[in-house]
Amino acid sequence: MDKKEVTNVILTGVGGQGSILASHLLAEAALKDGHDVKLAETYGGATRGGAVLSHVRIGQAWSPRTPEDQADVIVAMEPLEGLRRAIQFLRPGGWVLLNTHPWYPVDVSAGGMEYPAIDSIVEAIQRLGGRVLSFDASSLALEAGSSRSANVAMLGGLFALGKVDVTEGSLFQAIEERWSARLVEINRKAYKLGHDHVSEKTRQG
Amino acid sequence: MSDIAAGEVGTRMLLLGNEAIARGAIEAGVRVAAAYPGTPSSEIMETLIEASKELGFDARWCVNEKVAFEAAAGASLTGVRSFASMKNAGLNVCMDLWMSLPYGGVRGGLVVVVADDPAPLYSSAAQDCRVGARWAHVPCLEPESQQEAKDMVKAAFAMSERLELPVMVRSVARLSHSVGVVEFGRIEPSDMVQGFNKHWKLAFRWAIYGPPAGGSSRVREMLHQQHPHAEFPGFGNSGWKQAWLVARQPDVVKEAEASPFEELQRGREPIAIVASGFGACYAREAIRDLELGERVWFCKVGMVHPLPQRTLMPVLRNCKRILVIEDGEPFVEPQLRELAQNEGLDVEISGKQFDALIAPHGELDVDLVRRAIARHCGIQVAVDQERQQIKAELAGLVTPRSSTLCAGCPHLGTYWALREAMKLGRKYVPIVNVEIGCYEQAEYGQQPYPEPSDAPTQRYRSDVLYNFADTCYVMGSATSMALGQERAGYKDGEIVVIAGDSSFYHTCMPALVDAVWNGTRLTMIVVDNSWTAMTGHQPCPVTGIDALGEPATVVPIDRVAKAMGAGLVEVASAYDVKEAEVAIRKALDFDGVAVVVLRGECKLQELRRVPKETVMKVDEELCTGCRQCVHLGCPAVTFADKKAGIDPLLCVGCGLCVQVCPVEAIARENS
Repeated sequence: MDKKEVTNVILTGVGGQGSILASHLLAEAALKDGHDVKLAETYGGATRGGAVLSHVRIGQAWSPRTPEDQADVIVAMEPLEGLRRAIQFLRPGGWVLLNTHPWYPVDVSAGGMEYPAIDSIVEAIQRLGGRVLSFDASSLALEAGSSRSANVAMLGGLFALGKVDVTEGSLFQAIEERWSARLVEINRKAYKLGHDHVSEKTRQG
Repeated sequence: MSDIAAGEVGTRMLLLGNEAIARGAIEAGVRVAAAYPGTPSSEIMETLIEASKELGFDARWCVNEKVAFEAAAGASLTGVRSFASMKNAGLNVCMDLWMSLPYGGVRGGLVVVVADDPAPLYSSAAQDCRVGARWAHVPCLEPESQQEAKDMVKAAFAMSERLELPVMVRSVARLSHSVGVVEFGRIEPSDMVQGFNKHWKLAFRWAIYGPPAGGSSRVREMLHQQHPHAEFPGFGNSGWKQAWLVARQPDVVKEAEASPFEELQRGREPIAIVASGFGACYAREAIRDLELGERVWFCKVGMVHPLPQRTLMPVLRNCKRILVIEDGEPFVEPQLRELAQNEGLDVEISGKQFDALIAPHGELDVDLVRRAIARHCGIQVAVDQERQQIKAELAGLVTPRSSTLCAGCPHLGTYWALREAMKLGRKYVPIVNVEIGCYEQAEYGQQPYPEPSDAPTQRYRSDVLYNFADTCYVMGSATSMALGQERAGYKDGEIVVIAGDSSFYHTCMPALVDAVWNGTRLTMIVVDNSWTAMTGHQPCPVTGIDALGEPATVVPIDRVAKAMGAGLVEVASAYDVKEAEVAIRKALDFDGVAVVVLRGECKLQELRRVPKETVMKVDEELCTGCRQCVHLGCPAVTFADKKAGIDPLLCVGCGLCVQVCPVEAIARENS
């Protein structure tokens, strides 16, 4: 099977973090670059605080959802959600970009459940054959000017990894088509911070 | 102008399945479009409403699916292209006219899109609405992709006009909520002239009990030509119109035979995969992954009722074993067996019905379809046992993320007040019946779940609102079921109904009148948050705007309840838990029909207009760790090291936690 016919990216997080929006930006940019794209959104009943997942499949794919163990990259806005989806979808040798800022489930904050330590999440993903790059995208977003731009900081990280055949120019075009000049500025900054951070980390190996 | 309305021929855009469906209706020149919101269908009408602002057709939200569908049907009788969209359960609400309308048919093209939910992800039941098309004797199309969804909806309007029958297009949640590339086509409206002719082609065409459709002799002649050996008894009442519908069926079959949405690829071996609608995308991917392209026959079915024999007969004649891939009930599968039996063909048909090569419940995905196709073709697919073992171990690390109401949601206040009001009740095991809406989160439960028991009556103590609701089924059912509980003489506890504003108008009102008329006790709490919130904040009769955002008449629930004859009507704020509790207690004590309207706008909507100014903060010195605020169920409230806390990012400053804290440890943070 030649899996290079398609690149599978999964974006995940908690409702309200903007992972679905980030998946739309990525898909729009891929279309601008002339790729065929499929995107699937999955969310629960809750508008805020629920587990959210979207699949972006660039290249020749028919199903909008990624098969088991075939995600090339998982972009996780929230660490627990990254682990949840890595178990389900990550390809051995695939990458997980992890925002280290947790969003505790109500089962932890009000119930008796435990939230796993970040280290054990990273270790678990490595046991699955995954490569993890973790960074605090939420702080980078604040530095860029808005906590809401963490999703674009994560996209900056994704592009720095170089596993997706989509151009920066197309992504910026998609960003410009969506937001006002002020928000474009913040998001460009967030993108750059995420990109630089991950580039630096990958250089260090 | 919205891109979807303005897009020129040849424009290529990424569209949600639901947006593609809307674009199809736009390209067909739809004049009247109506719906009630329902996941996963809502974006269809949202897109049409947006486009209607530019294109000038009528698109709107109705109070329920019955009104929406019947309005579209009424429009069609005047010769304009009409459209209704709904979720699977929505078709049930339309069922009466759905079954009867085909008896006299339609004039302007009438297309009904049903977004099914085979998982089900967002629905009470996984019902497969294609069955409804067969039941009503109307054609059903099932798209495989966003592009085909657009093309099929457009084609369905023209087909509807040729057949003079409504046409169903069936989507599924995964198609409706996924995005693909769609190339736009021309806008080609009908050339039908608007008008009204009560005897259009057939006498008394639009009155189901009217004299024989088109005169007995004409229908009899049609039937005799088509069925030369059958005897036709005298027809009574609407029977003549049923006969007309039966006589239309050969033309419906012709449409299937001419359907451009079918595909047949021959294979080397007498093994076939037949996939319908969205199932075809999984089958194509699995066939590629298993490198079966040359070996097996592949047939994609686009028109699922009636089945196109042109593409299926060669499969039945040339293959020994066929696997049917379809989302939902076995629907194509039994039809294929009927065809094979009718032709006397000895062919083994697999799927969901007998051998369950594919599980008869739940939705399809690529992995499941790949495994089924591999088994069907005798291919061994290696399973990495070690990896499965690692996954099973790691699953223990993954904390669940239970669904909750949003931070600052008015329903938090409602449930708190209800719990406090019921504490004072003398009775033992209450029944809290809830309708459909965000407030149904009170039935989702929170772990750890209680141990079930065989006792006829048992009290389960829980302080968490997410365990608080007892019964929940479908729109409108809670109110009627509460009447039955009263009439059965249930005495072990209070009987309460929680209904949303939109649900109240959708289907609760008949049960309320029934209670008044029949003198049945009823305690109904209507949680009025001004929007149909759960499906994405569509306006409803209490919002004050229409679908286009223009000012509209408010229909206040308290005044309607009073006019209907409710003996006690109370209005209180969901954000004042004491006031709400007093109102609920009055209603519980009232011997008759009592309606409490608890007002409080959906916080998400309010925050879109008025950004939050302050948040709440816990004074750790004062906090005794009693967890009352945790029991409120607000996701902004945290608890660690025996002290409560408030997440400042999530907190919206509603103040409910301040009201429930017994030691005044929570206060507004000075900012």
